[in-house]
Amino acid sequence: MPNSEDFNIDALKKTWQDQVISDGYNQDEIEVMLNKKSRNYVKYILWISIAEFIIFGVINFLTIFSSDFHTDFTNILNKLQIRNQSEVEFSLDRIYNGMKILSLIITGVFVTVFYINYKKIDVESNLKKFIIHIIKFKKTVNLFIFSNVFLLVLFIGSLISLLTITIRKQNIHVDNPTFWSLIIAVILSLLISVILILLYYKLAYGILLRRLSKNLEQLEKIDSEKTMI
Amino acid sequence: MPKIYLYFRLFLIFVSGMENKQKEFSKLIKDNQGLIIKVSRLYTHSLEDQEDLFQEIVLQLWKSYDSFQGNSKISTWMYRVALNTAITLFRKKTKQPQTDELQDFHSRNFLEDSDEKQQQISLLYKVIKLLPDVERAIVMMYLDDEPYKEIADTLGITEVNARVKMNRLKKTLKELMIKHA
Repeated sequence: MPNSEDFNIDALKKTWQDQVISDGYNQDEIEVMLNKKSRNYVKYILWISIAEFIIFGVINFLTIFSSDFHTDFTNILNKLQIRNQSEVEFSLDRIYNGMKILSLIITGVFVTVFYINYKKIDVESNLKKFIIHIIKFKKTVNLFIFSNVFLLVLFIGSLISLLTITIRKQNIHVDNPTFWSLIIAVILSLLISVILILLYYKLAYGILLRRLSKNLEQLEKIDSEKTMI
Repeated sequence: MPKIYLYFRLFLIFVSGMENKQKEFSKLIKDNQGLIIKVSRLYTHSLEDQEDLFQEIVLQLWKSYDSFQGNSKISTWMYRVALNTAITLFRKKTKQPQTDELQDFHSRNFLEDSDEKQQQISLLYKVIKLLPDVERAIVMMYLDDEPYKEIADTLGITEVNARVKMNRLKKTLKELMIKHA
C-alpha cells in the first residue's frame, strides 16, 4: 500500500468488490468437482468415532458377555475351596446379568444420541452453532468411552470385592502367593489401561478439537468484550 | 413388460432430473464463484490448498443445495457454507507459516486491472490473513458490503458486537497496513 498512513478500509471496499476473475472455473470443471471425494474434518471425526465405538464396544462385550471369564472365575472359587458355592454363584450371576443389561442400555442410548448429534451438524447453521454441534458430537463419543471404562472398572471391582468378602466371611486362609499376585496384576493392569485411555483422550481430543475450541473462544470473546465497555 | 418399461422411463426421468439439477447448480456456482475464491484465498497458504478448499466448499454447497433452494438469499447461504467449511471443516495440507514469512501468493483466479490496485488487493489479503479466523470473516463480509445483521447472523454473534468488533478491526488493520506496507 503506497500511502498507508492515511489508510481507510472503507476506501478499499470498491477495489475489493471489483476484483476481476480472470481464469475462473467453467461449468464443466465445477461439475467434475461434484463427483470428487470430500476431505473434511467432520467426516474424519465420524470415522474415528465409529472406530472408537466399535473397539470399546467389542472390548466391553467380550469381557462381560464372555462365558470363559465366568468359568475362570468359578475355577478360582474351586481352587480356593470356597464353601456354599451356589450362594456365591448366585451373586456372581446377579453381577453378570446386571452388567449385561447396563452395558446394553449404555450402548443403545449412546448410539441413539450419537446419531441424533451427528444429524444436528448442519453446514448451513451459523458458525457458532456449527462449532458447538461438532464439539457436542465428539463429546458423545468420549462420554461413551468413559462410561465403558467405568463399567469395566465397576465389573472387575465387583468381582474382586465378591471374592475378598467371601474369603473373609468364610475365614479362608489364602497363603497362595500366586493368587494375590494375580489380584494385584489385575488391579495394576486395570489402572494402567485407564491411565493410557485417559492419556490418549487428552492427546487425541486436544489435537482434534483445538482449532474448534479456539474459534469458539474467539466468538465468545467478541460477545463478552461488548459487556466490558 | 410394460412395468419394466415404466420403471425404465422413471429411471430416465430421474437421471435427466439429476443432470438438470447439476447443470443449474454448476451455473449458479460459476456465476457466484468470486465469493468462494475470496474465502479460499483468505483461509489458505498455498495454491494447492486454495484449490482444494474451493472444491470442498463447492461440495458442501452441493450437499446443502436441496435444503437451500428458495429458502434464503444466495449470498447468505454461500457465506455460511463457505465460511463454515473454511474455518471448521477443511483440513489444510500446508501449515500456516510464521507471521514474518506470511505472504499472499498471487492467485491465478483474480486479475486486478492496474498495478496499483493489484498491490492494494495483495497487501489487503496479506494483512487480513494475519488476523484470527473469525476476524477474517468479519472483515471480508464488511468489505463485501454485507450488513452487520448478516455478518452477525452468519457468525452467531450479536449485531452490536459485530459492529464494535469491526470498528476495532479498522484500527488493527491500519496498524498492520503501516507495518507491512
